[in-house]
Amino acid sequence: MNDDLDTANSVEFETDSDEAPRRRFELEETGFREVPKRWRKFYRLWDGPGDTLAPNEVICPVCKVVIRSHRELRPGDRVYCMPCMSRLVVARGPDGGLIADVLY
Amino acid sequence: MVGTGETGDTGDAWEPHLLDEDEFLREVQSFEFWFEAIEGYLGDRPNGYDPDLVEAELDDAERDQLVTILCNYPVGETAALEASSGLVRLAATNPSQIFMATQVADEARHVEVFRRRLEHLGVSDLDTTIASRANPELLEFKRTLLGFVDDGQWDLAVFAQNVLLETMEDTVFRFHQTTADPVTAQILEGVIADERRHLGFGENDLGRRLAGDPQRRAQLTEVRARLDPLVLRCFEATYRDLGLRPDEFPELGRSYLDAVERLGLGG
Repeated sequence: MNDDLDTANSVEFETDSDEAPRRRFELEETGFREVPKRWRKFYRLWDGPGDTLAPNEVICPVCKVVIRSHRELRPGDRVYCMPCMSRLVVARGPDGGLIADVLY
Repeated sequence: MVGTGETGDTGDAWEPHLLDEDEFLREVQSFEFWFEAIEGYLGDRPNGYDPDLVEAELDDAERDQLVTILCNYPVGETAALEASSGLVRLAATNPSQIFMATQVADEARHVEVFRRRLEHLGVSDLDTTIASRANPELLEFKRTLLGFVDDGQWDLAVFAQNVLLETMEDTVFRFHQTTADPVTAQILEGVIADERRHLGFGENDLGRRLAGDPQRRAQLTEVRARLDPLVLRCFEATYRDLGLRPDEFPELGRSYLDAVERLGLGG
């Protein structure tokens, strides 16, 4: 595991004392079938311009699938895109929304 | 937002993002993962589509245009089939080798479903029709790609196949899926799902290998610059077949440019 991953991993399921607690989310399958069944609820297809991301979701920049987590995502979190095998770290985009950067 | 309900539950829920890197790679590059994934979206679709799907009425001109477009797809897929089979031998790690073996099977299926679609559209002499209608730029790309494989150049071949070719195909198939008849669209949907794995593997494998090797990055940047005109001609030829206007071209190449940028191969 490299330093970037250690940094990304260190915030997993932790809350800094000066930050609001993270919201948690119940996930359900949305019809995404491109990964084995046990992983399906963690991904969904992006529906295009009319779609919006929930606080626990971020788009994979490599394959454009929406990655989902049980918890509210914040910059520094590591997420995996299983459909395209990418490891990513959540960051704040230019418009203030959450984006994901690929970790090689 | 789709199917995302906020809950008061504060307990830790297990999820894939908690896997460590090695566990993640072992999982997603395994034969078992591939098998369960494709079973999910292909299990009920022999020949790539639901057999109960009703075929759309196509007039002669529409059918002829569709045949021309589809004639390009087996060329690209055959290039990937032959290249990925050669790359199985060049893979440096066992997970990469297993992944590449699954890609061989994916590409073989793509060749088969596109050829069967052409047969269902009434094309009797497949090889002759494909040879006469496929864009020459794609054939040139195939020769270049197989040359990298024959020379034992894993990085160059993975770049040409899993980044360049797969991004090209993914971009074109996604666009075509939005305009195609229902049967062709469903075939494309399954192929696009496969392409996600292929292009993701390529970008991530190269990204890891290039991270500590500026010399290799410089070499790949040079190769990319050499291949770009050919890639552009491939895109343009396919766009013309799809009936697109020139002012729609650049947006469709965005995914490729983004991947090149992320890999630091912008030059």
